[in-house]
Amino acid sequence: MENYLDIANSSFLAIMGGMVFVFILLQSALFLRKAWNRGIESGMDKAKLKGAIRQSTIFSIIPSLPILISLIAMAPVLGIYFPWIRLSVVGSAVYELMAADVGAKSMGITGLGGEGYTAAVFANSMWLMSLGIVWGLLMVLFFLKRIQGTISKAKSKDAGWVPVLIAALFAGLLSVFLGDTIAASLLQLLTGSEGDIGLGLPVILVSSGAMGVFGWLITKFKINWLKDFALSFSMIIAMASAVLISL
Amino acid sequence: MKTYESYLSSMHKLGRVTGVIALFIIIAVPALTCWKFGIFPPLGNLMAGLGSLAVVFVPISLIEVMMYTPMAGIGGSYLLYVTGNLTNLRIPALMICMETAEVQSATEEGEIISTITIAASALTSTVIIALGVILLVPLTPVLSDPTLKPAFDNILPALFGALGVAWMGSSTSGFAQWKVAVVPFTLAVIVVMGMGGHAGKLIGILIPGMAAISILFARIMYKKGWIVIEPTLGDR
Repeated sequence: MENYLDIANSSFLAIMGGMVFVFILLQSALFLRKAWNRGIESGMDKAKLKGAIRQSTIFSIIPSLPILISLIAMAPVLGIYFPWIRLSVVGSAVYELMAADVGAKSMGITGLGGEGYTAAVFANSMWLMSLGIVWGLLMVLFFLKRIQGTISKAKSKDAGWVPVLIAALFAGLLSVFLGDTIAASLLQLLTGSEGDIGLGLPVILVSSGAMGVFGWLITKFKINWLKDFALSFSMIIAMASAVLISL
Repeated sequence: MKTYESYLSSMHKLGRVTGVIALFIIIAVPALTCWKFGIFPPLGNLMAGLGSLAVVFVPISLIEVMMYTPMAGIGGSYLLYVTGNLTNLRIPALMICMETAEVQSATEEGEIISTITIAASALTSTVIIALGVILLVPLTPVLSDPTLKPAFDNILPALFGALGVAWMGSSTSGFAQWKVAVVPFTLAVIVVMGMGGHAGKLIGILIPGMAAISILFARIMYKKGWIVIEPTLGDR
């Protein structure tokens, strides 16, 4: 039996990866062009459209780095190319490792890359990582038209409510991510229990403080270029503070 | 000039065609690899594994689709579910770019800005990941340096802290947005403290739960007239 890593690191899978890469770029470019053309046609300010491209591009750099870290983590057990493919399409590092593990367990193997992790088990992991998370895409393909129809109907009934509804959805998401981080530190502070309060709370305080300062600088001195970088800079400052605190 | 409706229906067409192609490619990768190397996992084992994943991921996906498609609009949603990385990348990008462009979801300008934002974000992260593959050897010692570990472990608090300030301090929806965040935020902190300080895997249940509570209280505030939409922003 062939060693599964020979397959995982084969040029065949590298070519597959290249294909997925080209497809994602093409698809995104098509959507971008279509929306851009519509924006121009409907008389939107070109600077606004360009601004969104610039800001989104700059912002997306830092949050992409953890994806590279998970790629590095997955490479020894699953090879380089398949994790590359998986992390370029739907899913996340946590999901991929979990699905790959289920792939091993459903073949009666204790875990990833261990004893008995043969090419067939690797293939099972590949199938599960690929198919286990297509549900969102399937739902969007079948139901997006209907969901958007419901929103337009709600809007024609009560135009003021829809922006409140969407803001409430954003608020729910923000609350959970902020709340989850703050709760642990707060609990320790309140109960006075021993141990490290963790870096979550200090990092949130630094990053929100930095963002507040940048926001003030932008409005006070009208530094418009800073708008595109404020979020990335705040993140870098907060992440640097995490390194400094733990030194 | 074509109507906005015809733009939307052609966007649906583009989304569905490219979405189906994406689905084919996702399936083609393991299928072609198995064919090329002549390895086939037994169908029974594959189905058993798929079933145990589906129990978890069908409900999660359903909730995500209901939450994120209203934010991302039509073009954005099709791209969102091909390129992934929703909560850690695309939705935050969407929030910050919509604030800067001063547009709202579910309006024509919002739809266009959302599609552009998600496409630009997908292009950026796809290129960065590909660069990572090429530069894997020199990058590995840098990115896995233990000194930098606390920085990357805390990337989400760093992101959501700054994003929270930018979003709550703004009024792009036509009202002070912090008003709708007060109740879900307080509740989220209390609930997670009740869970012993960490939501862990239950975060998947907590997000839709808090979104539902958030909508309920927003509805009450809206009905009571505590949230007043500026007339010019009502339908833009």
